[in-house]
Amino acid sequence: MTRADPLHDVARLQEIADLRLLSTDIDPILQDVASRAAARLGMPVSLVSVVLDEALHVAGSHGIDGLWLGETGGHPVEWSFCATSVRTREPFVVQNAAEHPDHRTNPLVTQDGVRCYAGVPLISSRGFVLGNLCVVGLEERVFVADEIAALRSLAVEAVLRIEERRAP
Amino acid sequence: MPEMPPSPSNPTRIPVYDFSVPTEADAVAALHRVWGPERGERLWLDACRSAGVRPGRVTDVAQLERAAAALGAAGGATATVARSIEIRLRTHARLAAKIADAKTRIPT
Repeated sequence: MTRADPLHDVARLQEIADLRLLSTDIDPILQDVASRAAARLGMPVSLVSVVLDEALHVAGSHGIDGLWLGETGGHPVEWSFCATSVRTREPFVVQNAAEHPDHRTNPLVTQDGVRCYAGVPLISSRGFVLGNLCVVGLEERVFVADEIAALRSLAVEAVLRIEERRAP
Repeated sequence: MPEMPPSPSNPTRIPVYDFSVPTEADAVAALHRVWGPERGERLWLDACRSAGVRPGRVTDVAQLERAAAALGAAGGATATVARSIEIRLRTHARLAAKIADAKTRIPT
């Protein structure tokens, strides 16, 4: 018996809806978390991502103005680096996406030049992985433990903010 | 790698992104994966009715957008499926435009 894909779990998706994470309105606090993540790790792009069943939805961001992602507010989930953490509940780090077995043919890599990625899961108080706080860059890069710890700390902050949005 | 326009044999597919425009079948399949076939089918029929489109005959993007919007109004987990459809539609439209724009910039 194969394990169901968490991406399609109704309870997880319901949690995303209950936390009102589908809004396309800009949340200044999530934007600020993304900006601080980018600054802390010296990266051009950071996202507070929400991983839906078939797409990644951007709930907060830094550095995507002027990019197509800034206009679409998300992308297909099969291109998503963040989906890995929804499945594993662990941080996911890619030093060189062009050589990564799961992502070397990813259009975000082959067409848009993504080379490195580090993301940590956003886990709600009810235990559901909503998405990730991540940083993305166009150059190969090593991420050290202190940097992942900093992302984890900011992710906790993001979840606290998100939990304030829970529908009564 | 140079960007190529959508394939002439399949104008809805963007080859370099290996990405095709979402269809009614994709939307129904997504609902089935989340809710199972019976409830998924019922949700789609309800959304089509609300959107004023005919189930099984949602043949263009505008109709699919309307049906997805109606699906989103159902709220809860169903709205997350609707948002996925919307993002996929927007991504296809934006990337198709980007590639068409790149094509016009190629010197002849």
